[in-house]
Amino acid sequence: MALPHPLKPDLAWVQRIGIPRALLYWRYGELWEAFFRGLGREVVLSPETDKAIVEEGNARSIDECCLASKAYMGHVDALKGRCDAVFVPSYASCHPHAGFCTKFQGLPDLVRNTFRDDGLDVVSLLVSDIRDKKGTERAVVELGMRLGATAKQAKAAYAAGLHAQKAADKRRAAAQAVALQDLARRRTAAQASGGPAPLGILFVAHPYISHDSYLCGSMAEAFERMGATLVLADETPHDRAYKRSFDFSRTLPWVANRELIGSILMLRGQVDGIVLVSAFPCGPDSMTDDAIMRYVQGLPILNLTIDAQSGTAGVETRIESFVDILRYQKLGGYVG
Amino acid sequence: MADTPQSPAPAAHGQLAAKAADSTVAHPLGALERARVVVSPATGRRASLWEKRRRKRRDKHRSAKKCAFFRYCYYDPAFKYFIEQALGAEYVALPASTKQTIEAGAQHSSDYVCTPFKHILGDYIEALDAGADVLVQFGGPCRLGYYGELQERILRDMGYEFDMLNFSVDIEEGAIGWAKQCMKVVNPNVRVGAGLLKLASCANMVVKLDAARDFYLANAGFERERGSFARVWESYLEALRAATADRDVNNAYREAMDAFRALPIDKPADPIRIGVVGEMFTAIDERSNLELDSKLLAMGVEVHRMMNLTNRWIRYNEPNLRVGAKDYIGYDMGPTSTLTIAAAVRYGREGLDGLVHAKSAGCTPEIDCAAVLQRVAQDFEMPCLYLTFDAQTSDTGLDTRLEAFYDMLAMKKEKTRP
Repeated sequence: MALPHPLKPDLAWVQRIGIPRALLYWRYGELWEAFFRGLGREVVLSPETDKAIVEEGNARSIDECCLASKAYMGHVDALKGRCDAVFVPSYASCHPHAGFCTKFQGLPDLVRNTFRDDGLDVVSLLVSDIRDKKGTERAVVELGMRLGATAKQAKAAYAAGLHAQKAADKRRAAAQAVALQDLARRRTAAQASGGPAPLGILFVAHPYISHDSYLCGSMAEAFERMGATLVLADETPHDRAYKRSFDFSRTLPWVANRELIGSILMLRGQVDGIVLVSAFPCGPDSMTDDAIMRYVQGLPILNLTIDAQSGTAGVETRIESFVDILRYQKLGGYVG
Repeated sequence: MADTPQSPAPAAHGQLAAKAADSTVAHPLGALERARVVVSPATGRRASLWEKRRRKRRDKHRSAKKCAFFRYCYYDPAFKYFIEQALGAEYVALPASTKQTIEAGAQHSSDYVCTPFKHILGDYIEALDAGADVLVQFGGPCRLGYYGELQERILRDMGYEFDMLNFSVDIEEGAIGWAKQCMKVVNPNVRVGAGLLKLASCANMVVKLDAARDFYLANAGFERERGSFARVWESYLEALRAATADRDVNNAYREAMDAFRALPIDKPADPIRIGVVGEMFTAIDERSNLELDSKLLAMGVEVHRMMNLTNRWIRYNEPNLRVGAKDYIGYDMGPTSTLTIAAAVRYGREGLDGLVHAKSAGCTPEIDCAAVLQRVAQDFEMPCLYLTFDAQTSDTGLDTRLEAFYDMLAMKKEKTRP
């Protein structure tokens, strides 16, 4: 949608902006929060995902949508009445190798149409190509100007947002590095004492799955109960993982999947097994999981799909047997 | 016979005749070759000792590569034209698909990948079995962009050896990258200038195919003699398959349209009109949508379908198309979403009786469209039937749903008739 020219501050009345704690919030949340705060807006976050949110989202969505996007609708619903407008950005795929699932592209229109009768206002912007830094800045600054700021104020708020985002990414990368160091230390200790070696497992999932304690909390717990250390693949520094992924594929169009795959290539030597977790039926993952299973050889891989069912016994059984297999293999139980 | 005395040669050919006689001496002939020596009655001269082998001069601009496309709707004449005329290679035509095609495709794909992937993989397996050594795959802004690479990996894992002309590779270079791909994979000696002209007439063929199909969809439901439209359509496709130049394409189109218009139809003044919208593969491709076109036409319906290659690729201007649907969408929601929603809005304004939304299982952009279509259907009071096609091959359920939908539309029309 072309912005009105000359830019009018048509969104200046929006004082409290709601951000759904789902999907790309887990990638760009710090940026958005800092940006809106920098413009003097109050930011309202939706609560953490719970059963009620997922159920409400389920009722609001077409059956065939993926679990994560259903949860998103639940989060938008939870913001209803608590803010002036909900912020739903559109991230398009103009870059052939750093695009997003089309879900992220159509999300604002999806929300508008789904909540049309609820009187919900949507604040949005279009980011066509995340590798185009100038273009992205222009889009964000234009949104800031529509919110009533001057270009200078909007630029400063965006810079603050980028700064917050960088710090958050660094924090996550540091958390991953600590987990890996701890793993290596315990491994050498175990070697010296002859005790059981620790198990490191690379947890490969989109950040909106791996950081959402409702959607995959039971899994993380099950791994911890079995004494395995989880290393989150989405915490690897994005740029390095993205570059590395070109060793794996020339044509893969999704940046998030590229980063996960690059992360697998970078960390495969430091872990004992890989778990791929996808929300059912995730479009990009339906293809990349297949490709990973075919072409990442030499490490056991467990492929788990989560959907809205609340029973966790099935998943736990699979995790337990996977960890048992890894342990048995470490003891030399299987050949090859 | 060769050593029998020859009739005296005319003076002008004397030397040649002597040469021929000499060569006979030098190389005594076997019985078979002797039998071939001909004495030409006019000159009385032996014309040739060995029958001349007809050697066609090899066209150095042609390639011996055998290329195959996947099966896609009625566009195989255009694919054939592209390979044979524009790229100068050989085209491997595939027979009609069977149950085994999709079974083989589904067997080697992951479970919840979108259905066209499975159909296309099945087609590729059959094409490779039929002798193809180059497979062609498109690129696109959704999962389609990764189809080629993953399918290549799966087929190689199965043990096949081939090249892939994958238009997702070097997509960042645009048309130049694609041209390089074509030259690298299929034909390094291609005539670039002539190839581009042929490419233009290939696009013309696509436009003519879609134009004829639009006429077919609007009128075949009312044919007086059952199957008469389908017969003309088939012969049209045959004529296009044989086309080698732009003129052939235009002639075939003119003849087919004349034949179509000459067919007797009984079309009521106000027939039931249904708009078909949906995803690029499933909404058009008859074997993936279980012959949706034929089923609708058999019920005596005027079918409208904006989705085709002409409207999606050749004449596609997304921002302008979106203007017509701006009450519903502010952004491009995916590769075919704007066309789907703009078409639905247009059908609503034109007062069509119903809408059929056809998509493959798991098509993310079209799933998102469904939420918007619900609003469009609501606003225009135009019922919409949502159909999702998976790798199933039984059409009984589809028949029941279409019949019920038709009955509902017919009753609604009867009630609201002024």
